[in-house]
Amino acid sequence: MSPLATNLKAALEAKAKQFHDVVDDNMEVPWPDFLRAWGELREINILKRDDEGAYYIEKT
Amino acid sequence: MAKKGFRSFLDDLDVADELRHVTKPVDCRQLSALAEQAEEATMFENIESYPGWRVATALVSTRKRLAVAMGCTEKRIAFEFESRSAKPINPVTVENAPCQEVVMEGDAVDLTTIPLPLMHLFDGGPYISGTFAVSKDADHGPNVGCYRLMYRTPKETGIDLVSPSDMRFYYQRALDKGEPLPIAIAVGVHPLDMLAASYKAPIDISELALAGGLRGEALEMVKCKTLDLEVPADAELVLEGELLPIGWTADEGPFGEFSQISGDVKWNPIFRIKCVTHRKNPIFYMLQMPWENDWLAAPVTEAAGLQALRIASVQPVDIRAPVGSCGYWSLIASIKKRPGEGKNAVAALLSVAEVKFVIVTDDDIDIHDPDELDWAIAFRVQADQDAVILKGARAKHIDPSVKSWLLGKGGLPTTAKLGIDATIPEGVPKILYRRIKTYGQDRIKLEDFE
Repeated sequence: MSPLATNLKAALEAKAKQFHDVVDDNMEVPWPDFLRAWGELREINILKRDDEGAYYIEKT
Repeated sequence: MAKKGFRSFLDDLDVADELRHVTKPVDCRQLSALAEQAEEATMFENIESYPGWRVATALVSTRKRLAVAMGCTEKRIAFEFESRSAKPINPVTVENAPCQEVVMEGDAVDLTTIPLPLMHLFDGGPYISGTFAVSKDADHGPNVGCYRLMYRTPKETGIDLVSPSDMRFYYQRALDKGEPLPIAIAVGVHPLDMLAASYKAPIDISELALAGGLRGEALEMVKCKTLDLEVPADAELVLEGELLPIGWTADEGPFGEFSQISGDVKWNPIFRIKCVTHRKNPIFYMLQMPWENDWLAAPVTEAAGLQALRIASVQPVDIRAPVGSCGYWSLIASIKKRPGEGKNAVAALLSVAEVKFVIVTDDDIDIHDPDELDWAIAFRVQADQDAVILKGARAKHIDPSVKSWLLGKGGLPTTAKLGIDATIPEGVPKILYRRIKTYGQDRIKLEDFE
């Protein structure tokens, strides 16, 4: 897993966030890099959604 | 005359002074907010991290620009749609196509190389909002529709297939056999092609021939590189792949819906992309929600209203589906009325799709003028005689007032509909509606006294 995907994973394990909040936290990251990291989390199928549509990851 | 295409339409907008060119570098996270503030359609010429790409948006987010696409006046749009759609022209297949100037297959497929915008605050991810989606069924042939795609991975998107549609039907048939459904997504086609794709045609009616009718020329199609499907040859971008046979199991949304409401998370299939083709120096089309979707819906609803009135033997004079009701839920029409036809017209218009609010006036009322409409409703309507309520009609999930969440999974909502007959009531002399006119109005001119 890339360092950016690892950071995203840690953030979503700590707290559920709307997608725009995750984006806001990473505005300095070029958009294609952000999307690739997001795709890494999708590929391992760990992203979950709460009732408000926010993303979170259950700690293992 | 040059063929109609996405780029010829951009030229038309330039000629009409309806296209703003933004040359400063713009990030994909800024595109939607900037487009929302522009009065014109917008072409972003310089996209950060995406050299060679441009992004065009809000191309038909006003009735004026839709009229440019149709090549007629704003008031003629519905009538033009109705007459042209009655003369479909079958598509033709070409060998070489601009949309296949660049081809990426297999491992080379990478959606992160395409400038996918983050459009709305509560969206579940970046979206491809303006699609011309082609699928095929062995028994029913090719079908075209518009479906949003949410980025998931460099090779996968979500796709909203919740509402009943022909592609949903095709997908269900493939799913029943445990098979994927091959589909192709074209992005960046002429607005008339988008209009045809969004038309809820009966399953055996060709949207491709309808597109030809609207254009007045055959739509040129090209065979996909990896699928037994054809796509518009002049598209800017094409995604070829398949809907995985997983059913409605993957989270998708929310997305800023055409109802002007942020939707909720839905459960949908996944689209896996096997091949990406595009033009050299491609232009990504970002369909601006909700306005562009709503203005594309309006002529379809209006034409259906005209057709319903004619079937009811009522003579329509003008019709409009207001953008406030998303070009979809309301219809206002003026008619040349004979006794009783106000109610006939109300009944006919309430039968159109999910239209739930209807006003019918006489032809002396300009239905595009809200003050005129208010006047007609104030003085020609008796609520106990002229309001028609229809209960238990078909509805759409995305209307919160139908409380579809109470229905459980797969439940289909119903709605009540309201029609107002604002025509002059039978038995009331027309002279009672004689409008105020100032003395000498037609011959005494203010400019003569300046």
